[in-house]
Amino acid sequence: MVADFDTIDININVGPQHPSTHGVFRMVLTVDGELVRDLDAVVGYLHRGAEKLLENQDYRQGIGIQDRTEYLAQFPAEQSYVMAAEKLGGFVVPERAEYVRVICVELNRIASHFMFMGAYGTDVGVFGTSFIYGFRERERVYRFFEELTGERMMYSYFRVGGLAWEVMDGFEEKARALLQELKRGINDINGLLTRNEIFIARTRHVGEISAERAIEYGLSGPVLRSTGVRWDVRKDEPYSVYDRFDFDVPVGEFGDCYDRYMVRLEEMRQAVRIVEQALDQMPKSGPIMPEKMPRMLRLPAGEVYVPVESARGEYGVYLVSRGGNHPWRCRVKSPCFTNLQALREMTVGEYVADSVVILGSIDLVLSEVDR
Amino acid sequence: MMPVLGYWFGIAWLDAILRLAVIAGVMTVVVIFLTYAERKVIARVQQRLGPTRTGPAGLLQGVADALKLVLKEDLRPTTADRWVFELAPFMVFVPVFLTFVAVPFTRDLGVRFLSLGLFYIVAVSSLNIVGFIMAGWGSDNKYALLGGVRAAAQMISYEVPLVLTVLGVAMVASSLDIRVITERQDVVPYIVWQPLAFVVFIIAGLAEMNRTPFDIPVAESEVVGGPTVEYSGIRWSFFQLAEYSSLFVLSALGADLFLGGYIWPFGSNPPGWLQLILILVKTSFMILMIFWVRATFPRLRIDQLMSYCWKVLIPVTVAQLFFNGLVLVYRWPDILLLVFSGALLVGATAATAVAVRRAARRPRDAQAVRDRRLQYARGA
Amino acid sequence: MLGVLRSMLTTLSTTMRRPVTRQYPESHRPIPERERAFPLLLWDHGVDEPYCTGCQACERACPCKCMTVTMKDNPRQAEGTSKRRKIVDTFWIDYGRCMRCNICVEVCNFDAIAMNNTWTGIELSAYDRHDLVMDLDELLALSRAGGIVPWAEYVGEENQKLPPRAVQAARTLAGRGPA
Repeated sequence: MVADFDTIDININVGPQHPSTHGVFRMVLTVDGELVRDLDAVVGYLHRGAEKLLENQDYRQGIGIQDRTEYLAQFPAEQSYVMAAEKLGGFVVPERAEYVRVICVELNRIASHFMFMGAYGTDVGVFGTSFIYGFRERERVYRFFEELTGERMMYSYFRVGGLAWEVMDGFEEKARALLQELKRGINDINGLLTRNEIFIARTRHVGEISAERAIEYGLSGPVLRSTGVRWDVRKDEPYSVYDRFDFDVPVGEFGDCYDRYMVRLEEMRQAVRIVEQALDQMPKSGPIMPEKMPRMLRLPAGEVYVPVESARGEYGVYLVSRGGNHPWRCRVKSPCFTNLQALREMTVGEYVADSVVILGSIDLVLSEVDR
Repeated sequence: MMPVLGYWFGIAWLDAILRLAVIAGVMTVVVIFLTYAERKVIARVQQRLGPTRTGPAGLLQGVADALKLVLKEDLRPTTADRWVFELAPFMVFVPVFLTFVAVPFTRDLGVRFLSLGLFYIVAVSSLNIVGFIMAGWGSDNKYALLGGVRAAAQMISYEVPLVLTVLGVAMVASSLDIRVITERQDVVPYIVWQPLAFVVFIIAGLAEMNRTPFDIPVAESEVVGGPTVEYSGIRWSFFQLAEYSSLFVLSALGADLFLGGYIWPFGSNPPGWLQLILILVKTSFMILMIFWVRATFPRLRIDQLMSYCWKVLIPVTVAQLFFNGLVLVYRWPDILLLVFSGALLVGATAATAVAVRRAARRPRDAQAVRDRRLQYARGA
Repeated sequence: MLGVLRSMLTTLSTTMRRPVTRQYPESHRPIPERERAFPLLLWDHGVDEPYCTGCQACERACPCKCMTVTMKDNPRQAEGTSKRRKIVDTFWIDYGRCMRCNICVEVCNFDAIAMNNTWTGIELSAYDRHDLVMDLDELLALSRAGGIVPWAEYVGEENQKLPPRAVQAARTLAGRGPA
């Protein structure tokens, strides 16, 4: 007869200074040996009051705040904000500006996904190689953006009505050359991870969530699509000029960590396709701002919500204006915050090592969660 | 060349001390060089430059790191179990130090040549598990504890396939003296007769050394360094020293056992300098392979690691031993050793790959699996 | 195990490629013309005084309120050497607060402010945050020495009429090589 040992569950505090919490996220794991019994997610370490700041800034100043809210996919965040203001003010964006925006947004999506690939590989345990592969390509995109906008990360390039300034000389050739390099980078990541048995063993059937539960939680982006739900704002509620492009929305099968990775990998390829089409269709010259833009932007009273498909899911800006040059209320709908809710359900019953992988597979940006 | 046969000065205790000093010196140099080499190799794999600042091409980086570690404050958490905490690094380091004693580098170069050398190395090297558990327990840190327990489970499990593989070689050579085993390989190195044993030796060795893809106890992204998380300065450097010297010892041992050591392919008695070059080249080859693996692979999970050991490695190595026995007892031609071992190797890899693929494709009820796991852990 | 081999081949192939990192302080990457480091004031070499009149348009438009500007009567207007009636008296920019959004450049009516597009604007680490508060002299120094070629779309063309030697120096400084 084996003696009845009393074992106790211990609490492990992962974060906010843990190497793999992707910022200042904290989760308190209750573990029974290697098994996670409970998870308590603590957010708010990076709260900077971005929404309140936006209420006190005029519409041009707010664009800079948007960059800092979502620091890995800045252009989608900017786009959401300026589109909300445009909708409120009834501005028509010139076609050329729309195309440049789409190119920027899609390249930014690729950069963000590369960042994910790098960090995810490290979470799974690759000693820095995937990280360098990801960052190498991301840096190429950032160089391109730096040439275009002058800043590496915090672009403030979109403006209500269009763009801040004209694209640089040789924009199209440079973009095409960039795409060629990015394709090779995608192949590198693909070769390193996709078919690696250890990677498959670590991520397949880990952190699964069913399509029903995903919808109940209100998940969006790759996390939702990995469960097999074909929902993409670009496709289902086309904004900007997305209805003119031919691209696929990749979906997964099981809703596990491997599917989330695969969905993102395929999304990068689709983003390359979109950029190529956009470069083909883009008017070679034309205005980038509407004819009559007031020097000081004052929007009529009203409220508007504009979602865009950011790299992490549905990023939306809800603007309430009571007239005047700044919003009365600006609420940011953060995809990561919603996706984070499902973390507990995905993690409880998995192993400690998996908790890190699952967290990584959500692709957190903490500044966007806490705002 | 070190005069190894016979005592220096004829005084036994002085001789012992001198030899220990030699090991300590060689180990330090080897470790400093290996850390530099690893950083440089992995940097190249990752398209980086690696260390370039200290000395020409960064060659002195290892020395600078060592100096910094020596000068750094030696911290001990107030709640740590003092003696357990402070002695743990030595408990990890000493067994590795001891294994150095029995590894022959050339016919005449080595510290001691033991007739049961292989047995000695296997026996002594498994002792450092104790050190990891001590470090994990003594630190009074949950990450360290988790890492220490993981280390214990992993290193005890992987001890078995490691022993079984070297046993296969010992059977073929019918000796436990490493020099004898090496010198039997003057025509054909044992990697040819025992390919499975070589592959499993590397895998189990990686697990014994806590290196990628088996660095679960010290996983940076999960348990933040595991047992070593609370250590700093000189005590931490002992863990590092142990890790890299065991890497060196294991590679040299692998070169001796499987790659023909200092003999193959230059007949039965090449000149001394050639022996040294041969063993260094082969050891470097093994080490490079291990670095390459480290730069490439993700980490396994603890349960996968254990099931891989008990469900794959141990059965195939036992089967190999069994076939070796058949071949040797009934004096079948040697080629059958290769046939059996190779077939097992191919079969095992294919079976693992197929198992992983099939498990990956099969849908399952995730929630039920998790619930069952939780219940099982409760002992229900 | 084919996937494992494929991973190893991938890493082998990148080992053959050239490193993508560089020896940072010695070798700078060329920075683009539009680079936006921190805002600087421009010096009117024709009249030998700043372009800035201290109108505070930038101060009002700044989203992070990092600027403080005051204005005074231009003594040289009375002498007749300058057409500017008002001129900047004091000008502080707290680089520790500035978020490099470029709005000050866009709102400036006199093309008096530009974003620093040389390396001097990028390496600005300091031990004390007060060292990052720049006063008028510090803000004008680079332009006064002819060390900056602002991007034409930020500021008007006439602000770029600088002595050729200074242009040369600026281009070297910016890592763009001689013109």
